[in-house]
Amino acid sequence: MSDETKIDLELDLKGLLCPLPMVKVSQNIGKVEVGGVIRAIATDPGAMADIPAWAKSTGNEVLQAEKVGGEFVFLVKRVK
Amino acid sequence: MDSTQLTTLTGVIDKKMNRQLKQYLDICARCAICKDACHQYVGTGDFKYLPARRAELIRQIYKKYFTKTGEFVPALYEARDPDENLLDELYDSTYACTGCRRCMYYCPFSIDTAWILSVAKAILIAAGKGNEMLGQLADAAIFKGDNAEMFNDVMVSGFEDIQEEVRAITGNPNSQVPVNKEGADILYVALAGAHSIRPAAVIFEEAGENWTISMFEAANYGFFYGDVEKARLITKRYIDEAKRLGVKEIVVPECGHAYRVAEFFYEAWSKEPMPFKISHILEKVDQYIKSGRITVDKGLIEGKVTYHDPCQLGRNGGKFEEPRDIVKAVTDNFVDLTPNRAEQWCCGGGGGIVAMEEFKDVRLASGIKKVEQLKASGATVLACPCENCRLQIEELNEVHELGLQVWQVIDLVVAAMPLKGTKPTHV
Repeated sequence: MSDETKIDLELDLKGLLCPLPMVKVSQNIGKVEVGGVIRAIATDPGAMADIPAWAKSTGNEVLQAEKVGGEFVFLVKRVK
Repeated sequence: MDSTQLTTLTGVIDKKMNRQLKQYLDICARCAICKDACHQYVGTGDFKYLPARRAELIRQIYKKYFTKTGEFVPALYEARDPDENLLDELYDSTYACTGCRRCMYYCPFSIDTAWILSVAKAILIAAGKGNEMLGQLADAAIFKGDNAEMFNDVMVSGFEDIQEEVRAITGNPNSQVPVNKEGADILYVALAGAHSIRPAAVIFEEAGENWTISMFEAANYGFFYGDVEKARLITKRYIDEAKRLGVKEIVVPECGHAYRVAEFFYEAWSKEPMPFKISHILEKVDQYIKSGRITVDKGLIEGKVTYHDPCQLGRNGGKFEEPRDIVKAVTDNFVDLTPNRAEQWCCGGGGGIVAMEEFKDVRLASGIKKVEQLKASGATVLACPCENCRLQIEELNEVHELGLQVWQVIDLVVAAMPLKGTKPTHV
């Protein structure tokens, strides 16, 4: 999916400790249009629960949450 | 503002305003001693951050609707409607406050401005003006609690990775990070980040503790947001887990507000007695060192080390000596900040302010007293058992080029333990 999806904003969240990756995604989601996608790369494993939980509770959508090597890659779509 | 909204807001005040809060509002003499106690007022010189002024906004609404003089001659008695202007002022002065309660410590009448501002937060939330970011973080935590099975696999996978890291540090291929272990003595309620779990796991393992971790973190953004029900639900997640696992004790991590919530607030929120002992991780570590359950070597930490009392753990939690005893156990080169303990300056990073981008300038300006303290200490290493404080001080460290290493206390302990494995750099 990541190869086909247009990315509107890249967030480098490597080195940030939870819950900061979730905070940064939340702070930046308004910077893309509705329907736009943020790709966020984090290194704290806590983000694997935090970011999907944030997306569910705010009505946004995680298109991808994947561990790649020692990193966690998220595609987050702004739904509203 | 229509009459329905007004009734809702005055209803919030009526419900929250008990005898002690009314006394606080009545008794303030406007002596302004609090101006020299508040790091935010000292750092910015902005009147809206003066503690007495923050409380004054609530006092003005209270006078208008709950006193005869304020109702009939509001202009004479400084009584105001909670209109948009007042609510905007209230938002800035309330959510910027870190809740450090240094103003209360110096107030001749011990007026608890942070408590008064808990009424302000309830009013703002009822008016639909609660801080959006803190509300989202609180809702995400509640969602995790309501849908734990959805996150089980990723959480367990994360714990397995941390277990491998722990084994590399201890040099023991059998070291464990036990997850949801029934019959454990201790439930360690960590933060969501691995940095909060890894060193604690090393210490528990080396101490031979019968412990476990579960799915829920200790951080509580419902508390910062100012919604008691959300705060209760977030805490209830791990209280229920502790009951299910049958543990004897809950240990909270290096997180100031998490300790205060578990030890002091949850019983009042839930109206039921806490069925376990609540301890801070540093109380346990201090006991382990003093009883010989873990060994630390004073020669392994380089540089002059100082310690910052997080407001929620120190002034508001009473834990001053255990962290200092631990730091003194791992180094002979300790220097305290001045002032310290109950008089410690707030770093400016508490109350959830590090998550609120709109207060960044205020936050950094309000750290100036902490910067002065750190420079005066001559220390090169800072031990600090609070996530929010560390985030703030690391940023101050960069901005003011202090050249400090900012450590969790438990990271210092692991660095000072004679272990067979490979020591990580801190965090």
